Amino acid sequence: MLETKRTLIFLLLAVTLSSSLLGCQPQSPANATAPAQTSVTIVIAEDPPSFNPVITDTGYDSLVMDLVMLGLTDIDENGNVFPELAAELPTLENGDVVQDETAGTMSVTWKMRKDAQWSDGTPVTAKDVIFTYNAILDPAKGSWIPGIDYIDSIAQVDNYTLTINYNAIFPGYLTQFGGEQVVVWPAHYCSAEQGFSAWDCAREPLSDGPYKLEEWVNGDHMTFVKNENYFDKGKPSIETIIVKIIPDAAVRKTMLLNGDADLDMWSSEQMIHDLEGAENVQVSNSPDNRWVMRIFFNLAAKGATDPVATPHPILSNVKVRQAIRMAIDVDTITKEFFYGLAKPNWTEFFRPPYVCDNVARTQFDLEGAKALLEEAGWVDQDGDGVRECHNCGTAADGYPMEMEFITYSEYGEPLELTQQFIAEQLGKIGIKLNLTVVEGSVLWATAADGGIEQNGNFDMDIWDEGYAGIDPTDYLWSYYSAEAAVPDNGYNYGRWENPEFDSLLDEAYTLDTQTRHDAFCKMATLLDEELPQALLFTAVNASVHSARLQGVKSSTNDIITWNAADWTLK
Amino acid sequence: MNPSNELSQPLSPAQTSLGLGVWKRFRKHPGAIFGLIVLTLLLALVVFAPLTAYDPEVSDISARNKPPSIQHLMGTDALGRDLFTRILYGGRISLTVGIMVVVIGLVIGVPVGALAGYYGGWLDALLMRITDTFLSLPAFLVLILLSAILREVELPLFERNSVLTIALVIGLLSWMTFARLIRAAFLTLRELDFIAATRALGGSDFRIIVKHILPNAIGPIIVEATLELGSAIIEESGLSFLGFGIQPPTPSWGNLLSNAQTHFTTQPWLAIFPGLMIFLAIISVNYIGDGLRDAFDPYKVLDQIGE
Amino acid sequence: MAAYILRRLLQTIALLFLLSVVLFALVNLAPGGPLAGQGQSRHVSAEKVELLKRQFGLDQPLPTQYIIWLAGNDWMKVDVDGDGIKESSGTRYGILRGDFGFSFRTRKPVLEEIGGRLPNTIYLMSITMLAAILLAIPIGIASALRQYSKFDIAVTTFSFAGQAIPEFWLGLILILVFYAWLKNPFTGQPLLPSGGITTLGLQGFNLGDRIEHLILPVLTGALGWVSWYSRFMRSSMLDVIHKDYLRTARAKGASNWVVLYKHGLRNALIPLVTLLALDLPYIFSGAIFVEYLFAWPGMGRLYYQAAEQRDYPVLMTILIIGAATIIFSNLLADILYAYLDPRVRYE
Repeated sequence: MLETKRTLIFLLLAVTLSSSLLGCQPQSPANATAPAQTSVTIVIAEDPPSFNPVITDTGYDSLVMDLVMLGLTDIDENGNVFPELAAELPTLENGDVVQDETAGTMSVTWKMRKDAQWSDGTPVTAKDVIFTYNAILDPAKGSWIPGIDYIDSIAQVDNYTLTINYNAIFPGYLTQFGGEQVVVWPAHYCSAEQGFSAWDCAREPLSDGPYKLEEWVNGDHMTFVKNENYFDKGKPSIETIIVKIIPDAAVRKTMLLNGDADLDMWSSEQMIHDLEGAENVQVSNSPDNRWVMRIFFNLAAKGATDPVATPHPILSNVKVRQAIRMAIDVDTITKEFFYGLAKPNWTEFFRPPYVCDNVARTQFDLEGAKALLEEAGWVDQDGDGVRECHNCGTAADGYPMEMEFITYSEYGEPLELTQQFIAEQLGKIGIKLNLTVVEGSVLWATAADGGIEQNGNFDMDIWDEGYAGIDPTDYLWSYYSAEAAVPDNGYNYGRWENPEFDSLLDEAYTLDTQTRHDAFCKMATLLDEELPQALLFTAVNASVHSARLQGVKSSTNDIITWNAADWTLK
Repeated sequence: MNPSNELSQPLSPAQTSLGLGVWKRFRKHPGAIFGLIVLTLLLALVVFAPLTAYDPEVSDISARNKPPSIQHLMGTDALGRDLFTRILYGGRISLTVGIMVVVIGLVIGVPVGALAGYYGGWLDALLMRITDTFLSLPAFLVLILLSAILREVELPLFERNSVLTIALVIGLLSWMTFARLIRAAFLTLRELDFIAATRALGGSDFRIIVKHILPNAIGPIIVEATLELGSAIIEESGLSFLGFGIQPPTPSWGNLLSNAQTHFTTQPWLAIFPGLMIFLAIISVNYIGDGLRDAFDPYKVLDQIGE
Repeated sequence: MAAYILRRLLQTIALLFLLSVVLFALVNLAPGGPLAGQGQSRHVSAEKVELLKRQFGLDQPLPTQYIIWLAGNDWMKVDVDGDGIKESSGTRYGILRGDFGFSFRTRKPVLEEIGGRLPNTIYLMSITMLAAILLAIPIGIASALRQYSKFDIAVTTFSFAGQAIPEFWLGLILILVFYAWLKNPFTGQPLLPSGGITTLGLQGFNLGDRIEHLILPVLTGALGWVSWYSRFMRSSMLDVIHKDYLRTARAKGASNWVVLYKHGLRNALIPLVTLLALDLPYIFSGAIFVEYLFAWPGMGRLYYQAAEQRDYPVLMTILIIGAATIIFSNLLADILYAYLDPRVRYE
């Protein structure tokens, strides 16, 4: 009996051991890179879900996409558009953009460079662009990119030339098939059958960029090697880029300090602050900032999406919104929680080429805020520290000034401290805020998925947003237009509807920059007066990298790897 | 006077073992006494939390991230709040979660175990299969899923990440051991002479369960309750680390500790003190549980757990 | 024995059924239901959602949906275009036939996602458990033999401490000490790597490198298990020591060690073996905190990531696998126990 028992125990151990050997299968294929080659390690928190950010939109997908794939154009750190697959930029001046003023339409002719190839040697042609467009357009398996509804048709002129006919004036045409998210997909390699939203080539991409994907061990690392078929023959100078998945931020920081990592994407304020002065790391700051931290006010009652039939009992009065903005001490927040890396900002129009300085900054003033609230009919008569409605006109008498204040968890500590600090300050003027932190995926999910914002299940939210590239029109449409206030149509989560704004937006759909500039500055005034969102400050946009890695350029217009082809090692 | 009462008095072992005997044996266990003292101290600190000079949720921008000093015994956090005060209030939350989890576990587990053990038959089979089903769920994974789901939906009582929600979620997955222990005790006790006698004398089932059997099953239940209290505190801290725990600014030991994780090298006190509190609390409840187990009957309890 | 196993097998099937109902209820409890995340690309039209619903059979009543979830709908006609006529075959095969759906996040089949992670988790967890057992058995026995001695008190304290230190805390401290602070005196490199399975770019299998990468995660993961198993070993050893037959054997003059080995140990190991069988599921479901901190590409991290992003198909699949392994290890434990201790099966 003892013998059998011993055998049993042994068997149990043998099972565990053998299964462990199973796990010991070498992870890397035989052609793993030799350490002698020049190699750079990027550390990120999680796997990119795919190489197609249009579908998965996590930033990690853009990071790896920029290493392997190209669009017609891209944007540099200063906001200048430059050609990638295009031979030159189509403009009114060179005749490649033709406007029909009376019909309000335009057509754009793209001439593509002839030396671009996929890594299998197939040339990149106009066919690939048209294939990409059709794949996105597919009603069942496609998706959406800005301005795609303005495209009437695409005609192939020859192998390297195509003409896009628009049914409107679309000022964002230059980066429509380029920029941070959109690239040209290989027609001969991707399966139209599987469709744009699910095709395999978004996980095993064919490269026409500086690097190609050699290996992807899910949850561990991705290895990219130099693409010999890249059109810019002298580049890239670094042979291998390894993207390592390191979930914990503290571990990423330690790896940078130890020289085991060369680049941290989206470095947090704390990481930058903690690593300041460390010998072997440097910080790359973008020349201007894109992400504006802001409070979204829900003008419809919580849980409802119609601001007219069911107005918000507290926030539908603009005086209340103004009082809230006045009671937020932005300077302290940027200086203390963002280590001075954030800059106060109070308008959407602060980035070239559309800068409007016609809006004055609201000063922090608790007494002024209190006066505004009293004026609006919110007084604390029962002495419990929370104001209640007394002839406020938007709620029943006695309705308490208590709301939910949400933010998202991924940004991390500075934003959570900001949220707590704002709640405390508003508490001082008699507004009680209950705090919630949720994942971005929950906050921004579609209405059908139960998304908090799309369903209007909030009072006030704080998070950062801003437009990529140089054309704010589509961004403005999706955050402020009445059309975008319909759930799942856009991101006008506060359901602010203003006909004057909508007509200004229509005016901005032109190629005449002066007209656009004027329209934007009028919007700036309107947004400041009406205050659908309270803009507070621009957050930092920087990456920490090792001192040996040169040429890294943080950009608000694209992800950090946008110029990876130009990186060098010291 | 009810004759059944008279009958049960001398026969029930619970009355004697619950009294002096248990305490006598418990007293001899040095670890248990240590645990009791530490836990009592922690409880006292937590109860008298409002006596500190600070408010746990009011920031002081001029005193951010200060190391421990006379003014701030355990230093301050990133908003300049006194960490000692927050730890005391956090202890209230963590211990409340722990106690609520035990209460929820008892509220579900005791009736399930008692009914199954007392009546047996199909009811026993049904209730035990349900218990098995819950035991078959990978507990921590389901915990994560439930708290993730519950923060997405709007429910009247269960606000996102409130103490009640977290306690309920943990409690829902912690009643099974109680049910099994109770059932095991009932299976052995219901056959005992004094129960049979009570039943023969016409005592109602409910009365027998509550007055005669339950008190005798109390030993293993108390032991299990102390251990459950400890593991609930650890589980809440784990959930907090993953971002599914109790929501700041409400402090809990778990979220204080997990939020300090990134400051380990720069502001170590933020991680050391909450960690120390969790450590002391868990180690003392474990010691108390150990002492109680020995005191109630070291071998009987073990047999029942191995059931 | 065969009858006993059969009975337990039948119970297991009933349990699996109950469990599938509970898990199905959980999927449907989630906001957006099982289709949540399908509309992840932001401009998905209402028609497309309706189309998907019909394709997935989500327009059907719940019991039908449950059957589809279990057994698929490829064998029934489905009305995909919404005109009221059932014209095409369904596309789902059901979980019974291995169709666990597609990850919302990556659009890859869930089983493919899991397949990449499972071996890594088994590798890490089986070594962790093995290390824990090999440490815990001698510790438990020694402290039982010297009950209430200084050694015993130290072991008890250690094992309670092991349960009182949150894993995520311990893991980070170990990384800071062995990766950030301590350097290898010969090479000047960090003493131990911060995470991962192997050094990248290493040719072939290198045992030393593997071990270096295992030390910290195994230490972090095993501490709790060592405390738990040594505590358990101690109790079951104490239990045996106090049994009459051992006293008798000793009274008959057998030497202490012989008695201990021949009678004590093997009887004390029986409960441990069944306990081990009960803990087998952890080898598959992994350890979230260890995998997170040490960047170990395993199941625990996959689950956590899926929970953060509400990737319900992945969550459900891992839960189902987790629950099924628990049920089967229970069965295994019972059979083992019945085999080792024949009294049980006649009860």
